[in-house]
Amino acid sequence: MIYWDNAATTWPKPAKVRQAVGQALRVYGANPGRGGHPMALSTSEQIFACRQAAADFFGLSDPSGVIFTLNCTTALNTVIRGLLEQGGRALTSDVEHNAVWRPLTALSPHYPRFDMAAWSEDEEETVENFRRAIRPDTRLIVCTHASNVFGVTLPIRRLGKLARDHGLLFCVDAAQTAGVLPIDMERDGIDYLCVAPHKGLYAPMGTGLLLCRERERVAPLVRGGTGSYSLSAAQPADLPDRLESGTPNTAGICGIHAGIQFVQEQGRDSVYRHELGLLNRVFKRLDGCEGICLYTSFPRYGRAAPVLSLNVAGLPSEETARLLAQEGVAVRAGLHCAPQAHRRFGTEATGTVRLAPCIFSTEQETEKICKLFSQIAQKRLHSGKIMV
Amino acid sequence: MGNHYIHVGSITNAMRGKRLLEQQGIRSYVHRAGQPAAGDGCGYSLLVTGEAERAEQILRVSGVRVVRVSEGL
Repeated sequence: MIYWDNAATTWPKPAKVRQAVGQALRVYGANPGRGGHPMALSTSEQIFACRQAAADFFGLSDPSGVIFTLNCTTALNTVIRGLLEQGGRALTSDVEHNAVWRPLTALSPHYPRFDMAAWSEDEEETVENFRRAIRPDTRLIVCTHASNVFGVTLPIRRLGKLARDHGLLFCVDAAQTAGVLPIDMERDGIDYLCVAPHKGLYAPMGTGLLLCRERERVAPLVRGGTGSYSLSAAQPADLPDRLESGTPNTAGICGIHAGIQFVQEQGRDSVYRHELGLLNRVFKRLDGCEGICLYTSFPRYGRAAPVLSLNVAGLPSEETARLLAQEGVAVRAGLHCAPQAHRRFGTEATGTVRLAPCIFSTEQETEKICKLFSQIAQKRLHSGKIMV
Repeated sequence: MGNHYIHVGSITNAMRGKRLLEQQGIRSYVHRAGQPAAGDGCGYSLLVTGEAERAEQILRVSGVRVVRVSEGL
């Protein structure tokens, strides 16, 4: 199988990650942060080592601000609801995933408490669109670093500065970019960074990270046992305990740590150049081909995540994906949980086929995918129906 | 040069504190009290031999919450 569905989750997971998960189950089997016996403490050390590695990787000075969550969606919900349920507005972009759009909408379904700024290929224009959309009661800018459908990026460093200049909090959804594009919370002015480690960090599914450089306290979505201040009925105020109740996913966390190490060993920028290089090749091969629809400009280094959307003209994206699957190519089609982005690019009715390579993807795979797209488009053009 | 327990409230504070002290050349051990006192969290502390005052200062300056310091055996 040729797996190019890495924007959903990366596969295969590196041997290092698989080994770390197995070792966690074999060796670090006690509940961390609860007991005082040697295995509980050694397990706690593993958890902390991952916090430290994540903090270092994303430029967060205090590892206590690294929160382990179920996934990136939970991290985003924690920030949005934890900051805004008591009041205030948010400002977001028009290319967001439902992980941002739905919790923002749920804050006040009948009288939306958020505004949307239009993404533009011109970074200056994007920042200006955000600036113009700031209202007196805006408290938080929350936006994706890169569209999970089209790969287009938002200028987070400039938006971070905008937020700081206006006294706003800044939260970034880095689901598609963590481990691929450079992110430094201090440098980029990010207060809250939401990460899907099972994507660009090659960790197991069912893991998420929320990194907090907290200027304002986020109220917890979940309260319960933390292994600290147990006599108190109140949730501890300190991080990470305030936002981490219940037994953590030790095996997954050990997998995150190994995944970070894997990306560091490969070199984050090398990973990015490899993946973007393959998509550049696809783009060059298919751009201008009769019957192929591309929706973005050439994916440029530093301005695009390694995600590309396309369609065969006149063919539903799901049908194209089915035909590719018949030939052993695994990709995702449809709306990708991001209807706003499809509205922005005019693909709401059809959805798109999404190509997302990873570090293990090859040039041979790229060639095969290009060839299949050409064949499907040609058959569609000449017969009006598909025979593969 | 006695032993001191620096009570830090949570396991994360203990792990972070241990690393910070290591970076300053102070060896410490994460310890969990059998019966933590009220306000001690779940009883996690750092056991240090000598240099307790300096260790406490390092932790406080670095933002690690120090609940209290007690003498060890």
